[in-house]
Amino acid sequence: MTKNSFISKNHLNFNNTPEHMEFLDKHTIKLDKVLNKLDKFVLDFVKILKKYSDYVIISGYVSILFGRSRATEGIDLLVPKMNKKTFLKLFHDLNKKFECINSSKPDELYNDYLLNNNAIRFSYRDKPIPNIEFKFAKTTMDYEALKQKLYVKMGSRELIISSLELQIAFKEEVLGSEKDIEDALHIRTVFEKNLNKNKLEHYKKILKNE
Amino acid sequence: MSKWFDKEKNRRERLEFVRFWANYVKTHSDQEWSKQQKELIDSQL
Repeated sequence: MTKNSFISKNHLNFNNTPEHMEFLDKHTIKLDKVLNKLDKFVLDFVKILKKYSDYVIISGYVSILFGRSRATEGIDLLVPKMNKKTFLKLFHDLNKKFECINSSKPDELYNDYLLNNNAIRFSYRDKPIPNIEFKFAKTTMDYEALKQKLYVKMGSRELIISSLELQIAFKEEVLGSEKDIEDALHIRTVFEKNLNKNKLEHYKKILKNE
Repeated sequence: MSKWFDKEKNRRERLEFVRFWANYVKTHSDQEWSKQQKELIDSQL
């Protein structure tokens, strides 16, 4: 906190409570939050997706999941490249509750969008916001995100996100907008004691040189 | 710097609040901060 801060420390309660988010092990975080509309939307989507594919949530929603005070219209999600047959099954299952904003034709979505490394967006029917930005992993860092994942347990529900160090590095070194810097700062502050500083520097170095 | 608006000062103040809120999240129960977050997010969607 800066010397001339307008924010009083009296607002902060430094007694951690048992209901506070915590790492259960290296790869699992327990979160006891009251779910908002975005959380429910993402959980709804991955409930179907996980029947067909591995996935990892990246970017802005990760910081929102852990408390950042902002909303978003899109939740970025990476999946390993899947074959067309699996995508068609996934699409038809999703189609019961969600619709794809880009096209209603799954063949076109697979061939023209996903195979060309373009993202497609899924939302609830007739409700384009919020939406899931769904794309196949392409770069080394995409695959690293899928490999270095974290499981976030919220009661009986679970979300899979990419490593916090990779999130911060990507936001600070590649994206770099004000919003991204703020997202990174939020994660840095909340997980100050849990971050692997060497891993973070390693990712930053790679991303800087790419 | 524009004579109408100090962007750099605004940026610093924003970052200060992000730090404040992150510390609030860190030091309060998940239920406590997430109720406030839910109000903000649900009202925007």
